[in-house]
Amino acid sequence: MAEGGDVDWELSKENIQPLRRGRDISVLHQALSQREEGPTSAINQQKQMFESELRIYEGEDPLSVWDRYIKWTEQTFPQGGKESNLATLLERAVTRFTDEKMYHNDPRYVDLWIKFAENCSEPLDIYRYMQAQGIGVTQATLYIAWSEEYENQGSYRKADLVYQEAFKRFAEPHDKLLQFHKALQARVARQALLKLENDSSDEEPKQPERVSLADLKHRGKKKAIAPVNRTGSAIRSISGGLPSRGAPVLGNVSNSKLVIFDENKAETPGPSEPLLEPWMAPPTSRAKENEQKPEKWCDVKMPQKTKFGHAVMPPPPPKPTFQPFVEESDQPPTMTPCKINPTVNSVLSARKPSKEETPLKRLQEHHQQRKEAEEGKLQERSMYCKELLLSGATEFCFEELRAEHFFKKMAQKSQEARGDGCQAAADPAK
Amino acid sequence: MTGCNEYKLNQGPEDSISAVKFSPSTAQFLLVSSWDCTVRLYDVGGNTMRMKYQHTAPVLDCAFYDPTHSWSGGLDSQLKTHDLNTDQDAIVGTHDAPIRCVEYCPEVNVMVTGSWDRSVRLWDPRTPCNAGTFTQPDKVYTLSVAGDRLIVGTAGRRVLVWDLRNMGYVQQRRESSLKYQTRCIRAFPNKQGYVLSSIEGRVAVEYLDPSQEVQKKKYAFKCHRLKEEGIEHVYPVNAISFHSVHNTFATGGSDGFVNIWDPFNKKRLCQFHRYPTSIASLAFSNDGTMLAIASSYMHEKGDISHPEDAIFIRQVTDAETKPKST
Repeated sequence: MAEGGDVDWELSKENIQPLRRGRDISVLHQALSQREEGPTSAINQQKQMFESELRIYEGEDPLSVWDRYIKWTEQTFPQGGKESNLATLLERAVTRFTDEKMYHNDPRYVDLWIKFAENCSEPLDIYRYMQAQGIGVTQATLYIAWSEEYENQGSYRKADLVYQEAFKRFAEPHDKLLQFHKALQARVARQALLKLENDSSDEEPKQPERVSLADLKHRGKKKAIAPVNRTGSAIRSISGGLPSRGAPVLGNVSNSKLVIFDENKAETPGPSEPLLEPWMAPPTSRAKENEQKPEKWCDVKMPQKTKFGHAVMPPPPPKPTFQPFVEESDQPPTMTPCKINPTVNSVLSARKPSKEETPLKRLQEHHQQRKEAEEGKLQERSMYCKELLLSGATEFCFEELRAEHFFKKMAQKSQEARGDGCQAAADPAK
Repeated sequence: MTGCNEYKLNQGPEDSISAVKFSPSTAQFLLVSSWDCTVRLYDVGGNTMRMKYQHTAPVLDCAFYDPTHSWSGGLDSQLKTHDLNTDQDAIVGTHDAPIRCVEYCPEVNVMVTGSWDRSVRLWDPRTPCNAGTFTQPDKVYTLSVAGDRLIVGTAGRRVLVWDLRNMGYVQQRRESSLKYQTRCIRAFPNKQGYVLSSIEGRVAVEYLDPSQEVQKKKYAFKCHRLKEEGIEHVYPVNAISFHSVHNTFATGGSDGFVNIWDPFNKKRLCQFHRYPTSIASLAFSNDGTMLAIASSYMHEKGDISHPEDAIFIRQVTDAETKPKST
């Protein structure tokens, strides 16, 4: 049995998503071996149990159900993917408790947020949002995850700043924070050292070479005012990711009267450091560039050709004289795939281009709605328990919700009856 | 409140009412399923309960097979048939999860059940035995029969149209044109389309014919919304019933109102007075002279105190149900 399981897991290794906490090997075996479908399968039954518990839980700690459900989902669906509904679950869980101040620095809740962020395309935005909302600001895990994200993106300086912020906030547990911070510093140091070694070893043979987009070399008799940038060390300062590497260039500036802006040094911490900014409102997404604000189209005029011919539109690029080859399979199908009778096809409309909607945007919308509801601005009110129907990964209808209550009551009754029976059996013995 | 054209049924169920269905042959008999685990047969004219039978759990739906046989299913996942003459019942079969809907298709002579186990099962009422299980994409919330076609509404706002004579494939897969959870689907008596209601005060009229001209005619409208202190309160639309002669339909919402609509002129024909609590189910009699109205709280806002559940029988006139020809 165990041998067969081993083979199973060896065969589908590439399908297993890594987990921070690792995986329970027995659950993994089980998850990989039983792939039966249908509503009666053990997985679906367990899922149904969680879904109903989410809705009828009446205890003090509703987060615990979500926490267990999500951990179970991670373990049971090692491939991740859509069928696990993990992304939906995380988003709903995170949204569900944004109002509950008591959870804001609960390690479980913060963990959910971090998992949620890691599932998103722009985790940094989520971390900033958390900080703005005061979620997890005293939890070391937030800063560790945040810093790691910066480190992955190559900004070691910001990664370090995150730790500074964490120390300022007295995030707990302190030991863990220290340990991770040291590890980060060690990694950065090692990398810097490695780079130095590499540099020094191949500095001699290196010929001066052109650097694209480098500062201009001066001409004529004037002595160097602009830094000469075409030597080996200066090339390094451009390609190097570490801010400290800008130092060699600095020497050149000292003998000039002008302070020359060097974009390679621009990473020194300034007042505009994003990390220290107090967020009054949820931050907007930073990953997007050239985002155009929607505006009225009918007011926009084509720029007219002026007297001096400044605003002439550039001519359109000439069409190639050859026919570019396009793979037949390259064109994405715009219709929903459908295997049914083609005469029926017309019922199905082409899939509409989905609205650009990030989880962060939805979170902000939720935030906004809540605010409006508090201020009594909301125009519509749904006259039913919407939150309960749309909890978890699936939806329930009124009847299902009531049925769950009924089944729970029945289970309690039968348990009580059994308890009474035991007592009755015990009594005569006395 | 109740005028001379309307009265409350005596000996009503002791818990919420899940469905009311008139006999296919006469306006005298009404079948009622309830959360008190019973199915009851009422003599509407005499205003008495003729009989009742038990399930082991709350009953979610019931249907007449013929004037003397009822079928019912509910949370115990069992499908029962009951002989109303001899007062004997039999278990026909089971689903893997509670049975949400039970319908009869006279054209193909088959009983249809839909369940939260994501399947529709067909049953041969003569033997009686299971005649096939058909997997649906999600939990079945409502279904309706239009001639030999079956329209299934599931969770996830999906609508599937099956051909009961050839269940080998799904004839049409659609998405509900409404944004929120589907509460009820009922087919036009003329079999050309269906009406779908959602949990957020909206009703859609749709057509089965996939051709473009016909599809252009589909529409949706808001209803069962009450404006109080500048805020619009949006209620679920739980029940739909068609008038068999005029092809007009009644809708019932959690606001306690019953509206009658003319789908051809897109007009509301009338609105009755407000009933004590949510309208859980509606049924026109076969000849269209009576409307059974189940006013019963459906736990939309949790288990709170609520007005008593009751069934009202209302005599309706042509003025209330006939489209105004202009």
